[in-house]
Amino acid sequence: MIKIPDIPESVVVRHGAKAWPLALAGAGLLMTGSLLSWSGDPQVLGDLSISFNPGGLQIQALALALLAVVLLLAHKGPLTSLGQWADTALGLRALATWALLFMVMVVVAITIEAGGLINIDPGGWISLLGAVLLFAAARLVLPRETRDPAEAHLPGWSEILVIVVLMAAILFGTAYALGLTDAWEFVLFLVFVTGVVIAGIRAGLLSWLGHVTPRHRHVLTLAAFAAAFFFPFTQNGSDANMSIASQILIFGAAAMSLNIVVGLAGLLDLGYIAFLGAGAYVGATLSTSAFATIGWNPPFFVVVLLGACVSGTLGLIIGTPTLRVSGDYLAIVTLGFGEIFRLSMFNLDGNNGPDLTHGPNGIPAIPDLAFGSFNFGDTHNVLGIPLARFSNYYFLLLVVIAFIILVFSRLNNSRIGRGWVAIREDEKAAEAMGVNVFGLKILAFVVGAFLAGMAGTIKAHQDVSVTPDQYIFLESAFLLAAIVLGGMGTVAGVMIGAVILKLLPEKLRFFSDYRLLLFGLLLVLMMRFRPEGLVASKRRQLEFHEEDEGLAVRVEGEFAEEVKP
Amino acid sequence: MDIFVQQLVNGLTLGSLYALIAVGYTVVYGILQLINFAHGEVFMIGAFGALTTSLVLFRGQTSLWILPFMIIGAVIASVVTAVLMERFAYRPLRNAPRLAPLITAIGISVFLQEIVRLNYDHVPFTSWNPFDLPDAKSLIPFPQIDVVTGPAFQVGGVTIQRAAIFTIGALLMCSAVLWYFINRTKMGRGMQAVSQDPDTARLMGINVDRVIVVAFMLGAILAGIAGVAQGLQNNNIDFRMGFLAGLKAFTAAVLGGIGNVAGAVVGGLVLGIVEAMATQYIPGQFGGSPWKDVWAFVMLILVLVFRPEGLLGAKAVDRA
Amino acid sequence: MTMAAETVEASRSPGVPLLQADGVIMRFGGLTAVNNVSMTVNEGEILGLIGPNGAGKTTFFNCLTGLYKPTEGQVRLSGVALAPKPRAVVEAGMARTFQNIRLFANMTALENVMVGRYCRTSSGALTSILRGPKFKREEAETRARAQELLEFVGLGTSTDHLARNLPYGNQRRLEIARALATDPKLVLLDEPTAGMNPLETRQASDLIFKIRDTGLAVVVIEHDMRFIFNLCDRVLCLVRGETLVEGTPDEVQSDPRVIEAYIGTGTDTDEDAEDSP
Repeated sequence: MIKIPDIPESVVVRHGAKAWPLALAGAGLLMTGSLLSWSGDPQVLGDLSISFNPGGLQIQALALALLAVVLLLAHKGPLTSLGQWADTALGLRALATWALLFMVMVVVAITIEAGGLINIDPGGWISLLGAVLLFAAARLVLPRETRDPAEAHLPGWSEILVIVVLMAAILFGTAYALGLTDAWEFVLFLVFVTGVVIAGIRAGLLSWLGHVTPRHRHVLTLAAFAAAFFFPFTQNGSDANMSIASQILIFGAAAMSLNIVVGLAGLLDLGYIAFLGAGAYVGATLSTSAFATIGWNPPFFVVVLLGACVSGTLGLIIGTPTLRVSGDYLAIVTLGFGEIFRLSMFNLDGNNGPDLTHGPNGIPAIPDLAFGSFNFGDTHNVLGIPLARFSNYYFLLLVVIAFIILVFSRLNNSRIGRGWVAIREDEKAAEAMGVNVFGLKILAFVVGAFLAGMAGTIKAHQDVSVTPDQYIFLESAFLLAAIVLGGMGTVAGVMIGAVILKLLPEKLRFFSDYRLLLFGLLLVLMMRFRPEGLVASKRRQLEFHEEDEGLAVRVEGEFAEEVKP
Repeated sequence: MDIFVQQLVNGLTLGSLYALIAVGYTVVYGILQLINFAHGEVFMIGAFGALTTSLVLFRGQTSLWILPFMIIGAVIASVVTAVLMERFAYRPLRNAPRLAPLITAIGISVFLQEIVRLNYDHVPFTSWNPFDLPDAKSLIPFPQIDVVTGPAFQVGGVTIQRAAIFTIGALLMCSAVLWYFINRTKMGRGMQAVSQDPDTARLMGINVDRVIVVAFMLGAILAGIAGVAQGLQNNNIDFRMGFLAGLKAFTAAVLGGIGNVAGAVVGGLVLGIVEAMATQYIPGQFGGSPWKDVWAFVMLILVLVFRPEGLLGAKAVDRA
Repeated sequence: MTMAAETVEASRSPGVPLLQADGVIMRFGGLTAVNNVSMTVNEGEILGLIGPNGAGKTTFFNCLTGLYKPTEGQVRLSGVALAPKPRAVVEAGMARTFQNIRLFANMTALENVMVGRYCRTSSGALTSILRGPKFKREEAETRARAQELLEFVGLGTSTDHLARNLPYGNQRRLEIARALATDPKLVLLDEPTAGMNPLETRQASDLIFKIRDTGLAVVVIEHDMRFIFNLCDRVLCLVRGETLVEGTPDEVQSDPRVIEAYIGTGTDTDEDAEDSP
């Protein structure tokens, strides 16, 4: 991140008093401009050309300005009682910086898309000017004493309300983002969201949330699932985004299962996609597809169980010999196993070994699932909103992922979870204290494989066909990256990582060529600068920063707080 | 009998290639206990370095005297890659948990493959291609060199490719030089000391950082040469060639006993021969070349189960 | 003080052997680190293990606790031969601490001790996922027992502190609490006072007496002679991997060979190399 140099102190002291009114004026200008027309060309970035009828981007600019006003009023004015908890000055600076970036990018986007600066209407210039003014003034606003947000206690219901509103915002934000087809609009929306989030972090809002959410863990989980549940209803029957969403859930389910292996037990598995593949192949070969090679079609829940068991057994077979050797070897052996799996599926085509998988052609035309009379391929109307094929799979996968998360977090918070932490910390000492090191590692490996196999059986039906090239090493690397990016050992982090890694490439097709390149770079940079991931598990954070004493003290305080009910 | 000898020759050729790459894994592991997963990419970039040298400086020529320049080009490309990777990706993670460098290695691996795939034929973010280099998204033909490529030799009923002789010869020469370097030079002894005990070595005045860089360079030099050998043998190269070769070479390093340089050479040869023999002699549907990679990885797993210290014995894996 | 130690010994009923090590030999390649050492620890006894650097004390400990598989010899606890596997040894009832503290640094004090309870609890994966009554009961018991042990070693107020944030002396105490959590019959303490000041040392010996008074036997490795002779009922002196003397503190203290071994011409090798198992 680029560091903007601080303004000399003398300037701040001399002009500090003027900063507040100036910033307010800037925010006002930004707002006024956003109500006017930005672009002479109605074809670009949605329609931004009609005054007093703001388009999507203009509404975002309005929101940024409004937030700035709220922060300003909380800094000095009627909302100070609220502002004493938050670092309003820092929050304002961050918000202003991103607002400026947002406006500059809007101007650039209109110029490029419509062909020339001439297309920018006065409203656009006014907003840009407002953003510049806001940015400059915010740099001069003096920070004040703030109180530790940990001490802020709102009534329980209002804290819950905040969580619910937050989840609703995430739901609508995601739905809105998915609806954007224009890459510029999507990127600008990302800038908007990033700006708001970073301003929240700087103002201390997120650390307050960090204190609130543990108090209402169940509410949070419930709200998150409710938001996810309502998502298909925001799509008006369009299945395009639901296809992406259900792909994300499959990916997320696999990543969550891998998280047990990597995040909890600390074992690096580089061939994990093979377990998903094993489940998928079981699902495919036992389906009623004309190309299925086994003529047995048990009920689907039997298939799910079977897929999970086959996958779990593979995990046992590969884990038993290798989990005894050092961790580095495990990474490579699992990598080798992933290749063995892919090559075997590729080869079992009847010429080289029995015909089980049709080799490179795979098993196509897998029919949709049907539970009784409920066929997953059909469109069903609920409350007048049509829910098509992918929505059906989406709901099923939501149940699966809920189950996986349940297994993950309950194992984590148990005797077994403690054993895993002990193994990660010091394997020899754990063994000497009577922890069944080998058994616990195997357990993580098998449970992870079992859950992935389960998800795989559904994937087979959702994807319609199963081929070996869906299960290459890169897919395993992606799964691992979701965990690393999001935060090893966390639920929220890994789900966020999965969403980012699957959603961005879908929406940013213009850089699809550079997708893998950026992905590789991302892994390297994450390990270098934030190895604990976007959403850090406190314990993992400690492990990655062995020398950071301050962090240890801070985390200790948070641990203590969590223990207190 | 001819078939057996033929497969032996094939195996030795393949094995020499594995051995050349495996040394890179083993030298770095011996010193840092780091599996440099991206080493396969160093090998791939070596091959592209040789290709680039030939295309830029000697386009269309096939004389033997070009070969040394290609090797130099390959080695420079590999060494620069390896040194940069050590300096900017691995060094900052020296005290991080072991998961970190492994994940970094995967990142580097993907990154390097993509850089070559996307940007070999033009300068990044432009379409400028001053040397008219080919598009690297698919297989690229590797230049033919007089004497080392061309019609194969027939000895009795056995066919020996010219490039095979080059590969085996390269391994022999590299092994000899490597042996001399490690056992007879000051830097080589320094490397041995660091691999025994880095902290004490540091106290004894050895520049550990330099030793580590040299270890990466050594591995890269051999990988670069292997890249040339691979190009000459297969007549073409592509950006994906490093993945499987790297994995096989790692298997070879483990087979010989990781951390043990002689072991890497022996492991490479054994793996090559086993692979060749498995292709020929495993009967029925599970034999033949479609399954040879599977058997190689099965062997990796078996070795780790029954003899994790490898054929010649590894350095103690757990120093802590 | 020696008097006090003897009185304590007299007041007990020693003689019931708890741990018996017979003819333990440990060779590393050509080096014999432990040569034919036998040791008996009786119930409720504190036994000291002394010897100059490199005498093989820690190696012998590692042989007892299954970290090393002795080349020859046998270790029996309550008459039952122990498999040379750390977990089997702990389950049989013998727990240890480490010379260089090996706590789970990023866990809280309470969690560290709770890990010690692992081998005495049995909630499996399924129980943990279903959260039945057994799980809840066992989890509550584990927590209560861990808290009790923390209070026993004097860390009752440090429950929620991270192990890595504890002062050095308290880390040693925590390691003892973790060992006690495995319900041992015998604890092996490897240099429990290394690096401590005199006050902390005194507190440590109080704690060891307290442990013994709950009915456990204790074996202590120590360099600090005064500490050992005050604390122990019997002392075993190892030199160059062999038993030099075994007897009461008085006997060992006055034995000229011991004095020679410590002060004499010793060709001390650094023991650090074998410290970390």
